[in-house]
Amino acid sequence: MFFHHFKYTLKYLFRNRLLIFWTYAFPIILGALFYLAFSDIEKNEKMDLIDIAIVEEVSDEQGSGLPEGAVSTEQENGSLEEVSADQGSGPPEGAIPTNRELLLETMEKLSDEDSEDRLFRTVYVSEKEAEKLLEKGKISGYLLAGGETPKVVVKESGINETIFRQAVGETMQNAKLVAALTEAEIERQKKEAAEVPVDVETVSEKILREIQEEQASIRDTTGSNLSYTMIEYYTLIAMACLYCATIGMYAVNCILANMSKKGMRISVSPVKKGRLVLGSLCASYVVQLLGLALLFIFTIFVLKVDYGPHMPRVILLALAGSFAGLSMGIAAGALIQANETAKTGMIIAVTMLGCFLSGMMGITMKYVIDKNMPVLNKVNPAAMITDGLYALYYYNTFHRYWFNVGSLLVFSAVMIGISFFALRRQRYQSL
Amino acid sequence: MKNVIEVRNLTKAYKELRAVDDLSFEVHEGEILGLLGPNGSGKSTTINCLLSLLQFESGHIRIFGKEMTPDAYDLKAQIGVVFQDVAVFEELTVYDNIDYFCGLYIGDKNTRKAYVRDAIALTGLEEFVKFYPKQLSGGLLRRLNIACGIAHKPKLIFLDEPTVAVDPQSRNNILDGIRILREQGATIVYTTHYMEEVEILCDRIIILDKGRVIASGTNEELKELTDIEEKVTVEVDRISQEQLAQIKALEHVKEVTNSKNVVSIVYREGEDHFGKLLAFLGKEKIRYHKIYSERPTLNDVFLELTGKELRD
Amino acid sequence: MLVFRTYFKILTKYKGIVILYTVILLCFAVFNMQTSDNSTNFTASRPDVYVENKDEEGALAGLLCDYIKEHAEVKGPEDLKDTEGVSDALFYRQVNYTVEIPENFSEDFLAGERPDIVVRSIGDYQAAYMEMQLERFLQTASLYQKAGMEEKQLIKQIKETLKETVEVELKSSVDKEGLSKGAFFYNFANYSLLAGCVYAIAVALSSFRRDCIRRRANVSPINNLRYNLQLLLANGVFAFALWAFYVLISFVMVKDVMFTKQGLLFIANSFVFALCALSVGFLIGNLTTNKEALGGIINVVALGSSFLCGAFVPVQWLPDAVLKIAHILPSYWYIQNNERIAKLETVEPAAIKPLLVNGAVVLGFAALFVAVTNVLAKRGRQRRV
Repeated sequence: MFFHHFKYTLKYLFRNRLLIFWTYAFPIILGALFYLAFSDIEKNEKMDLIDIAIVEEVSDEQGSGLPEGAVSTEQENGSLEEVSADQGSGPPEGAIPTNRELLLETMEKLSDEDSEDRLFRTVYVSEKEAEKLLEKGKISGYLLAGGETPKVVVKESGINETIFRQAVGETMQNAKLVAALTEAEIERQKKEAAEVPVDVETVSEKILREIQEEQASIRDTTGSNLSYTMIEYYTLIAMACLYCATIGMYAVNCILANMSKKGMRISVSPVKKGRLVLGSLCASYVVQLLGLALLFIFTIFVLKVDYGPHMPRVILLALAGSFAGLSMGIAAGALIQANETAKTGMIIAVTMLGCFLSGMMGITMKYVIDKNMPVLNKVNPAAMITDGLYALYYYNTFHRYWFNVGSLLVFSAVMIGISFFALRRQRYQSL
Repeated sequence: MKNVIEVRNLTKAYKELRAVDDLSFEVHEGEILGLLGPNGSGKSTTINCLLSLLQFESGHIRIFGKEMTPDAYDLKAQIGVVFQDVAVFEELTVYDNIDYFCGLYIGDKNTRKAYVRDAIALTGLEEFVKFYPKQLSGGLLRRLNIACGIAHKPKLIFLDEPTVAVDPQSRNNILDGIRILREQGATIVYTTHYMEEVEILCDRIIILDKGRVIASGTNEELKELTDIEEKVTVEVDRISQEQLAQIKALEHVKEVTNSKNVVSIVYREGEDHFGKLLAFLGKEKIRYHKIYSERPTLNDVFLELTGKELRD
Repeated sequence: MLVFRTYFKILTKYKGIVILYTVILLCFAVFNMQTSDNSTNFTASRPDVYVENKDEEGALAGLLCDYIKEHAEVKGPEDLKDTEGVSDALFYRQVNYTVEIPENFSEDFLAGERPDIVVRSIGDYQAAYMEMQLERFLQTASLYQKAGMEEKQLIKQIKETLKETVEVELKSSVDKEGLSKGAFFYNFANYSLLAGCVYAIAVALSSFRRDCIRRRANVSPINNLRYNLQLLLANGVFAFALWAFYVLISFVMVKDVMFTKQGLLFIANSFVFALCALSVGFLIGNLTTNKEALGGIINVVALGSSFLCGAFVPVQWLPDAVLKIAHILPSYWYIQNNERIAKLETVEPAAIKPLLVNGAVVLGFAALFVAVTNVLAKRGRQRRV
C-alpha cells in the first residue's frame, strides 16, 4: 500500500513539469550566477586599475625632512608583497635616490603598463589639476610627493583609496628599512675590512633581495578558510533544501480532502493517513534528492566548487536539511487551513525569511541573530544547515556539526509528528 | 431486511445555515436508494457526513452495523464513492488513475489488475486507457470518475450526481453500469436532482429539502402522496376564458391552467378523462393540434409537498 | 474599468499573504540596513583581534602586542578561555583574527630562531588587513635581527620603521557615508520591488489566466490590448503602493540623505525601476499560472539579478565580466544609477545627464517587457482557443 502510493505520488510529482523544472533549475541558475558574481571577488590582484594622479612639484629643499639615513640605493623596493616579486634585477646605474625618488619610482613601477602587478593608472599633473580631477571623480586620489612628507589626498574611504594609501605607506616603510639595514651592513663591513671601499649598491641590492625573500613565520591553524563564495554556495544549498517544502506541500495537498477532490476520494479509502503521508514524504524526498544530486554535480563538475575534505559531511547535512524542508512543507500543508495559493505564499515567505535570517543576503545577519536572538536560529532550519556547514570550518571537533544534523532531524520529526497528529482522524468543518 | 446504513438525527450546520437538519433514514441491503432534492438541499453534505469527511453537530451514523468514524478502516474498505466533482489526478493516465485508487483498497497486484480491467470494461473506457484526463470529453471524464470509485468492487456505493452535465448516451451507459453493480450485489445510494433517473433506477426514494426528509418510499408510494391522478395537456388554436371555466367545472378537475394556448388540466381522480375532454372540445368546436395524457411525476409530488419545482 | 476593479477584488482576497510578503521584504531591507557593515573600507573599522601572549616577559612580544593594539581592538584571554571559546569567538565573528605568541618568543627570536606565531582567521577583509600588518611586523623584526641588532636597538628600529605612515587628507564636501547608505538601501529595493511585484502580480493574475476565465475574456468584445492595459494599470497601482511604502521607510532609515537633492534622485530612480519591476511581474504573471513554480521563479529573478548586479555586494567587488553580462538586466542600470547618485558632489545638468540615460534604459526594458507580454498574450489566445 505504502509502495503503491509512493509510486503514484512519484509519477504525479514528475508530471508537474514546471514545479520540477523550477525546483531543479533555480539553485543551479543561482549557483551559476554566484559563480559569475563571486569568481573574482577574492583575488585581489584582479582588482581594477585604480586611477590616481601624482603631483611631483618639488618644493625648495630637495628631499629634506625624510629620514636622515637615506643612504643611496638605486633599487626601489616593492611595496606590496606581490608587487615586489619581479623587481630584483636591473637597478639603474649611478643614481642616488632620496626617499621621494624611491616613492616616485615605486609608484611608476606600480603604474607600468607592462607589469603584471600593475595597480594604478597614473597621470602626472599639477596640484590644481589633480584637485580638479578628484572633484570630477576621474581619479580616486592623488599623491603630493613634493612636500616635506608625502601626502595622499582622497575624496572618500573606499577600497581603492585604502589600497592607494597602503601602497604609499608601505613604500615609505620599506625605504626606512632599506636605509637602516644598509647603514648597519656598511658599519659591519667597515669593521671587518676598513680599507676596502664599501659598495653601497651591492649592499642595498642584497638587502632588498632579503626583504623580498623574508617570510613571516605565521602558522595559520584556521583549517580551510570559509570564503565568501563558499558561504554563498552553502546558503544556496540551504535554500535548495528548504525550497523542497513546496514539493512536500504539493504532495500532501493531494491527499487532503479539503484541498482537492482526489483528496476526498483518498480520504474515504481504508488507508491510514500516516501511511499516505509517509508515502508522499518518501516520494517527494526522492524528487528532492534528484534535484540535490543535480545541484552537487553541477557545482562540482561545472562550477568546480571545491567542497574540500568535508564533502561527505556537506552532503549528509544537505540530506538532513532536505528532510527538514520537506517535513516543514508537509506540516504547513497539513496545518494551514487556506487555499493552495496562500499556502504556497506562506511557504515561500517562511523560506525566504529563514534564509535571510541565516545570512543569505549578508552573512552579518546570521551573527546578529546568533548574538541577540539565538532561539530564532535554533528553530530556523536554514540556520541549522548553514551553521552546521560553517562549523566544519571553524571547529576542530565535529560536535557542533553533529548537533546541527541532530537538530535538523529533531525538527523534521517534530514537523512530521505534528502533521500526523493534525491529519489523524481529521474531519473537516467544510469542504 | 438488513440495514446497511442507519442515520439517526444527523445535524450539520455551516454557520447559520442548517444544511442537514435532524435527518434520519436507513438504507437496506441490495437496494438502490435515491436521494432526491433540488440544489442545496443537503444531499452532498449528507453523504460527506456519512463518509466521515465532514464534522457534524449531532447524530449517529452506523454503517454495516458499526459506528462510522474517520479511522473505521474496515468499513471504509467496503465503501466506494463517486463524487459529484471529477476527482482524479490530472497528472496520471486513465489507467493509472483507476489503478491508483483501486490500489488504495486492493493490495494484491493480480486481483487489482483484474478489477481495474473490469472497471474499465464496465465504464467502456477501453480505448482511452492511455489518455490523460485533460484529453477526455465531459462524459468520458464522468465515466472515469465512476471507474475510480467502484473499481475495488465495494459492497456499498455512494453515487453523488454522477450524471451531471452528461449527454444522454453517456448517461444511459452510466445508468446501465449502475444496474450491473446492483446485480453484482452492491447496495447503492444515488443522489440526483433528475427525477427521471430516480424513477427508472431506484427501488426506494428519499426526497430531501432544506436538509430534511420530506417524503420517502417507493416510486409508487410517493405518487400516492399526491391527489393527482392524471394530467392532460391540449394545444389549442384559441380558447376563451369562459370555455376554460367550463373545463374547470368538469368532473374531477382539480386545476386548469392556460399558457399561450397550451392548456393543462389536472384531474384528482376518476376515469376516462380523455374521452370526456374530447367530447367537450368537439362540442365547443375548439380546434386542437395535440393532446396527451400523463401520470403524475415526482416533480408533481415535490411541487405538492414544497410548493416549488425540483429543478430551479 | 471592470477588469481593474475585479483585479483588486481578487487581490484583496489574498491580502493577508500579500501584506505578509510586503512586510517581510521591508523587514529585510530595514534589518539589512541595520546590521550590514556596508563600508567597503577596511581601515575605517578596526578588526577585532584576540591576542594570547604566552611570552609575557619578552620585550619583543610586548612590542608586537602594542603594535596590534594600534591597528585593532584587542581582546585578551580573559574574554575567552579555552580553544572551544576561541573557536566560538571566530565562529560568531566576535573576533576577526586570533594571534597566539608562543612561549619564549622574544628570546628565541633574538637567538635567530623564527618561532611560529599561531593565527586563525575568519577570512574576511578585516582579517586580511590584520594579517598584512602582522606580516609586516615580523618581516621587519626578522630583517633587523638578521642584521645583528640587539634587543633595544631592534625594538627602537622596528618602532621607527613601522611608525612611518603617509598622511591622508580626506577632501569631501558631501556626506558620503550617508549617501552610500542611501545607495545601499535603494540597491536593496531591487530585490524587494522585484520579489514583491512578481509575487503579488503573479498571484492576482493567475486567477485571470485560468483557461476558462481567459476564454471567457477572449470571447468578450473587450479589446485584448485594452484588457491587458487595464490589468497593467491595476498592477501599477499595487507596484506604486509598494514603492511608496519603500520610499516612506527610507525617510525613516536614512532621513538625512532623503532631504537632499540626491535623495530626490534616489526616489526618482527607484520610481523608474518600480515601473520596470511592474512590467517584469506582469510578464511573469502572464507566463505562468503554476503557483508551485512561483517560488523558484522569484528566487531566480529577484535574487539572481540582485547578486549579479550588485544589490547585496558592493558593485566594485564584482568582476568586469559579470558586470558586462549584467548589462542585459534592468537592475544593472538601476543600481549603477544609485551608485552614481551616491558619488554626486553637486546636482547639475551635466552630472544628471548620465543618470537620465540609465533611467531611459530601464524604461526601455519596461516597454520591452510590456510588448513581449502583449505578443505572448495574443499568441496564447490564438493557441488556446
